[in-house]
Amino acid sequence: MSSGTIRVPGLGGAGGSAGPAGSGSLTIARRRRVADRALWSACALALALVVAPVVWVLVEVVREAVPGWQWSVLWTRSTGAGGGLSNAVVGTFVIMLGVGVLAGGVGLGAGVYLAEIARPSWRTAVLRSASEVLSGVPSIVLGYVGYEALVVGLHWGFSLLAGLIVLSVLVVPYVAKSTELALDQVPLAYREGGEALGMAKTRVLRTVVLRSAVPGIATGIIIALAISVGETAPLIYTAFWSNGYPTGALLHQPVGYLTYATWSFYDDPSTAVRALAFDASLLVVVVVLALIAISRLVVRRAQRYSPERALGAGRRRGGQAGVD
Amino acid sequence: MQGGSFVAGTTGWRSRSRLLGERALAAATAVTAVVPLGALVATVVILVVEALPAIRFNGWHFLVGSAWRPGDYYGEPVRTGGVLHPAGASYGAFPLVIGTIESSAIALVVAFPVAVGAAVLVVEKLPARLAGAIGFCLEVLAGIPSVVFGLWGVLEFGPWLARDVYPILAHLPNIPPFDIFRGNVGHGLGLLSGGLVLACMIVPIIAATTRDLLRQVPGATKEGAVALGMTHAESFRAVQVRWVRTGVLGAVILGLGRALGETIAIALVTGSVLQSATNIYGGMTTIAATIVSLLDSAEGDPTGLAVRTLAEAALVLALLTLVVNIGARLMVRRSARGAALPIGAGF
Amino acid sequence: MGAAALAGTLALTGVTTSLASASTARATSSGSGLSYPAVEKELTAIETPPSSKVALLETGSTLLYPLISKWAAVYAKQHTSISVTTAGTGSGTGQSEALDGAVQIGASDAYLPPTDPKTLLNIPVDISAQQIDYNVKGVPQSTHLKLDGTLLNNIYAGKVTNWDSSAIKALNPGVKLPDQTIVPLHRSDGSGDTFLFTSYQDFQDPKGWVASQGGPNTSVQWPSNPAALAELGNQGMETGCKATPGCIAYIGVSYLNEAIKDRLGYAQILNGDGNYELPTHKGIAAEVASYSSLPASAALSLIDSKAASAKDGYPIVNFEYAIVNEHQRNAATARAVKAFLAWGMDPRYGSTGKMLGPIYFQALSPEAINVAIALLDKVS
Repeated sequence: MSSGTIRVPGLGGAGGSAGPAGSGSLTIARRRRVADRALWSACALALALVVAPVVWVLVEVVREAVPGWQWSVLWTRSTGAGGGLSNAVVGTFVIMLGVGVLAGGVGLGAGVYLAEIARPSWRTAVLRSASEVLSGVPSIVLGYVGYEALVVGLHWGFSLLAGLIVLSVLVVPYVAKSTELALDQVPLAYREGGEALGMAKTRVLRTVVLRSAVPGIATGIIIALAISVGETAPLIYTAFWSNGYPTGALLHQPVGYLTYATWSFYDDPSTAVRALAFDASLLVVVVVLALIAISRLVVRRAQRYSPERALGAGRRRGGQAGVD
Repeated sequence: MQGGSFVAGTTGWRSRSRLLGERALAAATAVTAVVPLGALVATVVILVVEALPAIRFNGWHFLVGSAWRPGDYYGEPVRTGGVLHPAGASYGAFPLVIGTIESSAIALVVAFPVAVGAAVLVVEKLPARLAGAIGFCLEVLAGIPSVVFGLWGVLEFGPWLARDVYPILAHLPNIPPFDIFRGNVGHGLGLLSGGLVLACMIVPIIAATTRDLLRQVPGATKEGAVALGMTHAESFRAVQVRWVRTGVLGAVILGLGRALGETIAIALVTGSVLQSATNIYGGMTTIAATIVSLLDSAEGDPTGLAVRTLAEAALVLALLTLVVNIGARLMVRRSARGAALPIGAGF
Repeated sequence: MGAAALAGTLALTGVTTSLASASTARATSSGSGLSYPAVEKELTAIETPPSSKVALLETGSTLLYPLISKWAAVYAKQHTSISVTTAGTGSGTGQSEALDGAVQIGASDAYLPPTDPKTLLNIPVDISAQQIDYNVKGVPQSTHLKLDGTLLNNIYAGKVTNWDSSAIKALNPGVKLPDQTIVPLHRSDGSGDTFLFTSYQDFQDPKGWVASQGGPNTSVQWPSNPAALAELGNQGMETGCKATPGCIAYIGVSYLNEAIKDRLGYAQILNGDGNYELPTHKGIAAEVASYSSLPASAALSLIDSKAASAKDGYPIVNFEYAIVNEHQRNAATARAVKAFLAWGMDPRYGSTGKMLGPIYFQALSPEAINVAIALLDKVS
């Protein structure tokens, strides 16, 4: 594209004939080689600096939690000042499930609407941008608003639903975006084929289009779940904390979850309670890692049977516009 | 909203119920599509309504003042300008705003070269399998919960910096720009430690975007540069850098947005001191960390002013991040070659 | 009930007005004719749990959190009809959540402001204290430095900056003090401990920096002091002090064992009668006993008693309160709240020496229990 403006450093106007012709060009060549090597060394250092904290954080969590690990934390309830984490484990999974349903449903709908139903216009552009911008709103701001509006304003009290709504607002953009991208990838030929068979558009959407977009949508939802498992700030003042198991009540009953245990127990005077903070960290990290691994498996499987691959289209994944 | 377009192709032989089904689907999905916009608007509106009395009471002083005095909760409340408040109350968020900007700036300065350098290496040099492993690392980095970063920062990273790294920095030559590292290195919880932990947290968003943009650079263009006899580094500068510049800048700004709003980790690692850092190692706080650490104390204010002041702080933070996010997206939309920015944490 | 006679006459902002009555009253726990057996009989009557199952929520003070969680766990084994979920969020949250009805019991280190709705009660359940820790080179743990409110005021204001300054030496003749910068630690989050600490400084030195920034509070505008550091939570104060040579820190007494284990020193503090005391069980009990008359609202600062009977008293002591709304959503809930709190403050159950000893808490005096019972009676 921009080849017309390329300047070739170190080469004369003649260009092209970069051979070991004269002594002058030799030193230039060496300088260029050195510069080349310096750049790549710097990049290697940068890569090491990216990998180091990942390893360090994981090692730290494992080192603190594993030596004193007791499996009984998984089936012993918290007493608030000891016990185990089973209520928080169950609560975390209930929250995950709830967010999966709520954010999954809303995000899926929004993605389908933007990709398949609405005609592109300034309105869809606004809706899409609003979703993207929403993903940048700090989670503490959403948590604070959730507390003021739902817990206090609507008198829901600390409750599962308040936590679910705040978390869902936080992660809906991920699901919406991954759904939209995944649907955009479905080849036009699929739709045309379906319609040529006389299927209704809803049916084409359901049986053909959505089905082939499933991997992209699924990774979006899984990432949304990974985020919701790791969040603390939006839940402290909405879902709050409970020593008991979730009762199924959506309102007036708080719910325990793992990140609270880390946030709240790490400065307890008792070493046994502090150990629970690390156990909770380990469990959260394991769940997040598992979710990320699952999302990668989904992607890999999808690629193997990918329509894009069959059609020779470039590989572009929905949902994870950034990472693969 | 635009339901008609979906149903437009309907022809007479299709059953009425089918048409209804399509309409219902169009309407239902349209509603879900409005949810994010609704949530965004509701967030701002609720914050404004909540903060109104505090905005009236604190005035401009809130943005330029440095005192954060809740006043006497136990004394007789006073009414000033129609707002009931504890005697002696006065709120200035300047140290919080500055702390938010300083810690994020440090995060960007550190994360930008690291993330871009790593992404360049991954795309240009590493075999696919290794690149995949690094990609996994980036996802894990983006996925590690904030509170776990905070725990690591408080117990391990911060103390290590204070013990093994900061003393070296503090002995760098006393000339700009190194003179900012002079001073008492403290015990590892403060501005620089907070900025560095933030850097870890925003590296994924910048690195992943840079990598994906680099991968989209057409092969033919790169080959052309090599054909001209450039070294790898030279052709990279000439071709790829130009190609991805705007998109990467957008990702950097998104990273900034995330750094500005980070809460739990920063609350743990900066020491959450209600003051500007006295030197680069000094304890300080950010808007987000203050909301989390002072909401409890604010609840004790019988006039409610303290809670509403935190709503005002949340509003300032929300507007700051909205401007940053919208700015990044507008810029990329305007000039990048169809590059889409990632959202949120960088997934 | 003698305590009730003082209702309303006491200013809530400090102890100064209560001192007159307190100093004339007798100090021992039998001063007003009450004894533990008598109040325990009354407690027993309240402790009968409701027959239907009730789930209670508690939140608030992180200082009270470990104890109240232990209560919840032990109580659950003895009484199956009441289950209590606890959470340590901070005193302010405890107060506001109890008012909103989001929780039934809000735990607080501080009594309620007088302007709070009258339906909200602060019911004392136990007594806590605060230690002043330090990490000073060459001062052995067995030597407890002597400190007073004025000196603490000057240290936190940055007027006394070195451990070998004459102001500290004057109080500690014979102690070899090093040439070491003082690093005053304070809480970065809002905290009842900050309220207690600033109250003590304010009472001992009413013209100090505490008054000039608006009086004692859970979060205050600390004087600008380049050496000062802020710490998050009691644990942050404790570990921060351990890691910072030259530090001085105020920490909830439940962390005393932890601090001793970490080789921190803790100070003898000047009390209202001019004696330097340690936060021992005896010192805390003596301070509390000097307040033989309590206002019916139980809103009383226990800091820096100047009663003659408090001559052995440790001066930074406070009630731990349960904040409860008079109006509960139904009779069974009200009954459960009362039964659980009565059980908790009962020296035979929740407030035995075994329960409180490790965290240096103290059971209420019979007088205080009497006031607490009267407050519990209002809950319905």
